[in-house]
Amino acid sequence: MTTPTVAEVSQVLAKMIADKLEIDVATIKPDSNLEALGLDSLDVFDLIFNAEDHFHIKVPNDQVAISTLQDVSVLVQRLIVEQKK
Amino acid sequence: MTKPLHQNRVVVTGLSAVSPLGNTLTELTQNVFNGVSGIKRLDTAFVDKLDCKIAAQANFNPEDYFSKHKFSMLDRTSQMALQTSIGAIKNANLEMSDTLKSRMGIYLGTGMGGANSIEEGYVRLYKEGLNRLKPFTVLMSMNNAAASAIALEHQITGPNLTFCTACSSSAVAVGEASRLIRHGYADAMLAGGAESLLTFGTIKAWEALRTLAEEDIEDPGRSSKPFSADRTGLVLGEGAAMLVLESFEHATARGAIIHAEIIGYGSANDSNHITQPTVNGQATTILAALADAGLAANAIQYINAHGTATKLNDATETAAIKQAFGDHAYKLSVSSTKSMHGHLMGAAGALEALITILAMQNNILPPTINLTNPDPDCDLDYVPNVAKTLPNLEYAMSNSFAFGGTGASLILKKHD
Repeated sequence: MTTPTVAEVSQVLAKMIADKLEIDVATIKPDSNLEALGLDSLDVFDLIFNAEDHFHIKVPNDQVAISTLQDVSVLVQRLIVEQKK
Repeated sequence: MTKPLHQNRVVVTGLSAVSPLGNTLTELTQNVFNGVSGIKRLDTAFVDKLDCKIAAQANFNPEDYFSKHKFSMLDRTSQMALQTSIGAIKNANLEMSDTLKSRMGIYLGTGMGGANSIEEGYVRLYKEGLNRLKPFTVLMSMNNAAASAIALEHQITGPNLTFCTACSSSAVAVGEASRLIRHGYADAMLAGGAESLLTFGTIKAWEALRTLAEEDIEDPGRSSKPFSADRTGLVLGEGAAMLVLESFEHATARGAIIHAEIIGYGSANDSNHITQPTVNGQATTILAALADAGLAANAIQYINAHGTATKLNDATETAAIKQAFGDHAYKLSVSSTKSMHGHLMGAAGALEALITILAMQNNILPPTINLTNPDPDCDLDYVPNVAKTLPNLEYAMSNSFAFGGTGASLILKKHD
């Protein structure tokens, strides 16, 4: 399996968010603020949970602060690369 | 120096239910007075693995009421509770001002809280072999999840408590909420109960207790047979029921329509056995409510009984009514609406109090259906099979008893 790019990860996550909030995926941009979209801290946990399932990774508890979709995408993509090894 | 307690009259101004007999008051009223059964073969994938394949399911689809974002964070129990809170506030035509929100509380009863969510978690771990649970598992399964969801929805900041006394949970919640208003701690309360435990694991646990009804051979809908000689046990049900309670002063000041008045509440514990009720324990509960109301026993005209259709409860409850009411027991009418809506466990007491109010408003006593085979130990007027008109119905009682022994009786008065 080839490692997805940050942009590809971002597309998958955007789809998850759109599905959860029942909004048009086109309204979600990489620099969209997650809270502004309507996700609270627990929703972000849920997003990470689903990302772990989808990409077969484990996100450690001591992760960096997340405020935008791009933040999550970068984190997830980095963990995919790291945990592939 | 003791502080005198305010003694406010407590009235019911809002009603709402999600139940096996319908999710609107109109539907529920029609069904409960027409002797319609909400009990069916369980509509679920695991039905073939059950010994007891019947239940009283609520026809409730969360997507009809809430966004996916909202309902996916709530157990089915909380979804139904939340919907009835919205319905009850609407029915009460209550304007949720900031002042009211701070003077209003929520008392809810539930037996098993978010039973669906906890079981879903265990299925993931133990059956599917997955090694982690969804992030919302704790928040969806905790017993106070429903009451918290209601507070968040309406921004109600007063006392918020969840009562967990098994089958009497929501009768206790309504009774305790009425006391809060009576003594001046709140102007209004949302009081009710919610239960949704029709999961594979929970039904199996109930099967093991040998208290579930056998399915009627001819008609599954006729399986709950309270007070009948051929009764075989209770039928599990799900749903939620919510009342808006207000002080009489608060209700009249805003010109509210008053459905009924709560004039008495009593609670006692059998302290006998984890499942076996006693005549004394149940009679004590009934007498406590009468004393609380300051009402003579012979004023009660109708009792909505606990009437589970277990061998033990119905005979014990009949004897307790006789002990508490004396000769008057043979003059009043008693019915078990569980014959139609099944046993809603933590939501039962609130739903049955609500039905008792519907009886007072319509001057009709709901029947005990499936009562065709009289039991000599159950010799009161149970309004068998067909509803009965009672034009001057002024005082009624709703009884709830429970595993664990906590009983609750509520006394309702018609509001003219």
